[in-house]
Amino acid sequence: MIAIREARKRFGDVDAVRRVTFDAADGTVTGLLGPNGAGKTTTLRMLTGLMTPDGGTIHVDGTDVFADPLAAQRLMGVLPDSRGLYPRLTAREHIQYFGRLHGLGGSDLASRVDRLIHRFGLDALADRRVAGFSQGERTKVAIARALVHQPRHVILDEPTNGLDVMSTRSVRDLIRGLRQEGCCVIFSSHIMQEVSALCDRIVMIAQGTVVADGTADDLRRQAGRTDLEDAFVALAGLDVEPAI
Amino acid sequence: MTPFRLAWIVFRKELLDGTRDRRSLLTLLFSAVVTPLLFGAMFTVIAERRKSADEIALPIAGAEHAPAFVDWLKQQTGVIVVTAPAADAERAVRDRTEDVVLIIDKDFDRNMARAQPAPVKLVSDVTRDSARPKVARVRNLIAGYSQMVGGLRLISRGVAPLVATAIRIEEVEVSSSQQRLATQLSILPLLLVLAALTGGMQIAIDSTAGERERGSLEPLLLNPVPASSLALGKWLAASLFGFGAVIFSMLMTINIMRRVPWHDLGVRFTVSDADLLSLLALVLPAALFLSALLLFASTFARSFKEAQGYLTVLMLVPLLPGMVSTAYPLSDRPWLAPVPILGQYALSADVLGGKPPPLASYVIAGAVVVVLALALVALTARLLRRESIVFGR
Repeated sequence: MIAIREARKRFGDVDAVRRVTFDAADGTVTGLLGPNGAGKTTTLRMLTGLMTPDGGTIHVDGTDVFADPLAAQRLMGVLPDSRGLYPRLTAREHIQYFGRLHGLGGSDLASRVDRLIHRFGLDALADRRVAGFSQGERTKVAIARALVHQPRHVILDEPTNGLDVMSTRSVRDLIRGLRQEGCCVIFSSHIMQEVSALCDRIVMIAQGTVVADGTADDLRRQAGRTDLEDAFVALAGLDVEPAI
Repeated sequence: MTPFRLAWIVFRKELLDGTRDRRSLLTLLFSAVVTPLLFGAMFTVIAERRKSADEIALPIAGAEHAPAFVDWLKQQTGVIVVTAPAADAERAVRDRTEDVVLIIDKDFDRNMARAQPAPVKLVSDVTRDSARPKVARVRNLIAGYSQMVGGLRLISRGVAPLVATAIRIEEVEVSSSQQRLATQLSILPLLLVLAALTGGMQIAIDSTAGERERGSLEPLLLNPVPASSLALGKWLAASLFGFGAVIFSMLMTINIMRRVPWHDLGVRFTVSDADLLSLLALVLPAALFLSALLLFASTFARSFKEAQGYLTVLMLVPLLPGMVSTAYPLSDRPWLAPVPILGQYALSADVLGGKPPPLASYVIAGAVVVVLALALVALTARLLRRESIVFGR
């Protein structure tokens, strides 16, 4: 259970996030939808404890993220905006490293790592250095290492960015699997089809504020459009032609 | 998980990463092998030069004009007389086929018999440093012969030769041979500081600016690990590489130095194992400080290249006093001990000068650099939590 209340963040004189409030329940997939620059990534950075908000509160299972970021981070598995790997380490070593940093070790860690490698179809690549990996393989390693501590909350920032069809499908399968396991999943995207296909709930962000919050049907009704994409454009205020 | 246990995990990862990095291993090798070799070669050349003054082949033109003088020269130890054509003497020196040529005038013996100054020409090139000891040697030989013959002339006239010597110079050399060696060896602490810098540099950059450039810092910070543990682990890894380079470099340097023909330089190489351990006791804590400095500075850089730019300038700061100290020795300045790096140079000079500083100096010098290192690590940890650093790419 993730609860974000009135989160705000300013960079200089730019309001990146003006007012974001939403809940994400366990066992559901919450989609953070919005055009580029709407404040999705900033919201997620505040949620994961890397950025200090200028106002508002964020709780993960009752743990205040700003009061105790490390405790909150223990509850979350995060695929952040930048997902750099260490070119000289193998896929297995990446997952092991993050596992150890979460306090895991011994045969428990080894079996978790094995399971993740298998789950992401990385068996043949596991002991190769990631330097030569494809974009899809890199993303898989980055997600796998974020899940090594079996978090109940999974936050994925644009997980399918730059992935081919097969990799995108396996990421979607993963998200569905996590929902089945009862995880609270938040993922951000600017791709309509992905959000409508996966999400139980959609939180739409535009210009740093939540403009709509509900199921896909709720959003269509709210915008008075039958097509979700039209609804998205209308709600995001993108249909207003700028005055030239 | 204690913060130290987490730092240990980070340390092990950075070490694994670093040992797989060809670049970091190459810089380590470079500092450990190439620089000592270079300095070994330098000393050997200097020694060879001195030696070449002790055993000279002296080309003489017109030897037939002064058979007695030439015979005397031949009897001097380390002198081999060879004949040279008088016509080519100047060209031979100019072309550097000869360092020096002695031309004996045809009037030599006649003037000698009349007790007039006998003319000789000494052909040399003053701009040639390498020939200078040899020229000086030849000049001394001639002066020696001149004085000897002059003395005999005075005796034959019933005058004591000492009458002709108005002043007698007695040279008192105050520096011990060990001290003279120390001046030569003041290069050693500089080499060790250089090794500490180059050894730790690669990991320091890779684990800070490198993390930022690759975009791996943000995921790393999402783990429940205090930034201080991250900074600590990265610092220890960089320091260990610095240590490795220092120890390697010292072993290499010593091995090479022991092969330099020191006796030709007029000194005995008497650096004991205890002296070497004393040097390590000075330089290793300094390596901790230098690694922390490199780590801190490279955290500001967004990329590897940017960091290298910062560090090449920053590295001059600890190296400059070392370079200066090879010309102006820092020995006998115990009050420098608390000054980071400068203190290490000063105390090293005392160790090599055969005047080991008291234990307290080691403790003070070490404590200062370790405390500064920890402060820099703490500052690095704060940087790692700064939004402009984490997200500024």
